[in-house]
Amino acid sequence: MADDPKPPVPRWRGDFPIRWEQDHYITRRELTKFLTLGSALLVCATGAVALRGRRFRPSGGAARRIAVVGDVPPGGSALFRYPTDGDPCILVRLADGRFVAYSQVCTHLSCAVIHEPGSDQLHCPCHQGFFDAGDGRPTGGPPQRRLPRIRLEVRGEELFAVGVEV
Amino acid sequence: MYTGRQGLTLFTAIFSLVGVVVVVQLWLLSAALDAALSGEGGLAVPATVASLALFLVNAGLLWYVLDFDERRRRSEAE
Repeated sequence: MADDPKPPVPRWRGDFPIRWEQDHYITRRELTKFLTLGSALLVCATGAVALRGRRFRPSGGAARRIAVVGDVPPGGSALFRYPTDGDPCILVRLADGRFVAYSQVCTHLSCAVIHEPGSDQLHCPCHQGFFDAGDGRPTGGPPQRRLPRIRLEVRGEELFAVGVEV
Repeated sequence: MYTGRQGLTLFTAIFSLVGVVVVVQLWLLSAALDAALSGEGGLAVPATVASLALFLVNAGLLWYVLDFDERRRRSEAE
């Protein structure tokens, strides 16, 4: 009595040697291990943010002369860079005569905010974000965080930037 | 005595839970980073503690899955 011949192995089996059930079983367990490893990495990343959080806070540099008091009328503004030449900032003279200055980088997606002459408002034209020029708080549009404030000092007739407050 | 079907159901539930926990950890990381960029670095510490607790949950679930597999293999061998 002749043995039943085994069915020939199809050629595609060589390219796909893992059976469906087996593949399903192995892959999901491996993925769970991978997710747990990713979970550990996320703990490390959050810990790194906690440890180095202070480094995100620019403290400013040396005092830098940015304008002459008489050059900026009430309701006007001027641009300057502080603490480095790569950090654009905006100086605003409010209607009541006070000077305030902020980073010009919008806290939404980093477009440059502009001052609307005569108003106490800063405007980000990219996504219609608005900030109160008095304290830098967002008042409209997508921004959620206030603009970093530049500390100012008046020395005689000159204005100096002396630090950054986030 | 464990069956393959029991294991599949259990594993599906655990796999889903691990995925949800990782998404929550991602949210914690983005919230901590956002707070740090806003100058509120103190928020990152409780976020790290919460993330660590969630990781321990994930590690416990993974350990349970591996232990379940091992017990099932043993019961099948007997």
